[in-house]
Amino acid sequence: MTIAPGLLPEGLRDRLPPQAEAGSRLLHRVIVAIGRHGYARVSPPLAEFEEGLVGQLKSAGARDLLRFVDPVSQRTLALRPDITAQVGRIAATRMGHRPRPLRLAYGGPVLKLRATQLRPERELTQAGAELIGTDSLAAVIEILRVAVEALEVAGVTGITVDLTLPDLVETLAAGAMPLPADKVDAVRAMLDAKDAGGLASLGADAYLPFIEAAGPVGPALAKLRAIAGAQTLDKRLEAIEAIVAAIGDRVALTLDPTERHGFEYQTWIGFSLFGDGLSGEIGRGGSYTIVHPDGTEEKAIGFSLFIDPLVDVGLGVVEHRRVFLPLGTDAATGAALRADDWITIAALSESDDAAALGCTHILRGNIPQPI
Amino acid sequence: MTAQIIIAVPKGRILKEVLPLFAALGIVPEPAFGDEDSRLLRFATNRPDIGLIRVRAFDVATFVAHGAAQLGIVGSDVLMEFDYSELYAPVDLDIGHCRISVAEPVAMAAGDDPREWSHVRVATKYPNITRRHFEARGVQAECVKLNGAMEIAPVLGLSSRIVDLVSTGRTLKDNGLAEVETIAQVSSRLIVNRAAFKTRAAEIGPLVEGFRKAVEAKDAA
Repeated sequence: MTIAPGLLPEGLRDRLPPQAEAGSRLLHRVIVAIGRHGYARVSPPLAEFEEGLVGQLKSAGARDLLRFVDPVSQRTLALRPDITAQVGRIAATRMGHRPRPLRLAYGGPVLKLRATQLRPERELTQAGAELIGTDSLAAVIEILRVAVEALEVAGVTGITVDLTLPDLVETLAAGAMPLPADKVDAVRAMLDAKDAGGLASLGADAYLPFIEAAGPVGPALAKLRAIAGAQTLDKRLEAIEAIVAAIGDRVALTLDPTERHGFEYQTWIGFSLFGDGLSGEIGRGGSYTIVHPDGTEEKAIGFSLFIDPLVDVGLGVVEHRRVFLPLGTDAATGAALRADDWITIAALSESDDAAALGCTHILRGNIPQPI
Repeated sequence: MTAQIIIAVPKGRILKEVLPLFAALGIVPEPAFGDEDSRLLRFATNRPDIGLIRVRAFDVATFVAHGAAQLGIVGSDVLMEFDYSELYAPVDLDIGHCRISVAEPVAMAAGDDPREWSHVRVATKYPNITRRHFEARGVQAECVKLNGAMEIAPVLGLSSRIVDLVSTGRTLKDNGLAEVETIAQVSSRLIVNRAAFKTRAAEIGPLVEGFRKAVEAKDAA
């Protein structure tokens, strides 16, 4: 069977002008904004040994990886579905000797094995920052500030940060609100889906108040404090209050204590980022643990943003003035115009048409005149 | 934020049970909404900030998962079938009770022992639920997807068994079928789009709380 010309595999696409340019502009802006906070860029490869991509982060689940056998080494390679684990590897190996806290930034394409109906893209541009060596409250606040600033620089407005406590169920199930070991996963899944009926059917009614507590951070904290058995969380809740004090005036903050959506490896705190007019989440982050080659563990915290949804809503597109240079225009004139922020389109033959080539201006008597 | 909150509601029998819940929240849909014959798909309410759409039950989940509607009312059967990650189901509305079950012809059921199954051929509207259910008990299920009138499939030899919603069991009986296994109890749930739940918490929070209160008040009565 022949493939129709131009057909791409499911979940992959070409970016054309002006979106291709918008994408690279947004990535650049985000990386620069992150870099200003002292996060130095690293650039891991697109593919590596499969073992290198799994097992870097503690309690990361088995991932769906796009794998292939390298004809040269005869070993299984995989395309990266996420850059965070690669940065973790760099921090644990080649940069293991550098002083902590280590601040690293990254940006580039990632490839997922499967697309879903809700997230049909398999290739995404991921950008982010990782702060390695601590997951203290001060580190959380710094990472959140950097993330919010990066989104603001990209043009996102109405930012909402949704905070979550990823290991809450395990913590409570092991202590104040015991659950049978074989039910912990099911209860966690139901809490993640905020499925009140499903939770009740598991006999975990004691956890129902956590579903009701989710919402704007102020009332959510009050509701959490009222839950019998949740006193063991006091330190966590104080940390949330400190975060609210630090960034509450810049963004809307919600607290969803039992959210697990994609927080496979996060430890005590996680967050998702949302923006006005963007239908899904545009970034996420949290604290996690890196496993070093010798088995020692190191705390870290970071965030990732996805550039593609921003491009899809039209961010990053800049209108340019495009001037047509008729045949015979001398090179210095063109150079002067470009230095003055013009885009120049030089005629290559008499038949070139300025309007058809998308020019907004035409050079007449050495002065750009609107078409 | 000026955009309306859209609530997606399924067509059919559940509609009558939903209206009292809306009334308890002080939401009054325009008259055409309660009229099964109306061809309108989108309806206004007495609250300018809330609109309603009436679509098929499966589409309620799809509209809300994609954020095209922010809230919806749908049976837990649909949630189980789709397993969309972007849906929350914070309130069990305690209406639309039924169950999703396996059924087979009465004659077959008389001599059948479900413990001995290794492969079954099932006609159903719920291929995912069916496959998951049988896989979990070590049986391979071959599903024939139908969109309605499953009960006729065994008689005509399309499949030996069906998986479908059962409320009174009358339809099964009339078609010579017997219920042999219950997969899950079903009730209608209030569902919320995940991103809307976070970013429009000030508008959506009170609505969710209102539905929760309305259900509690009804159960207490």
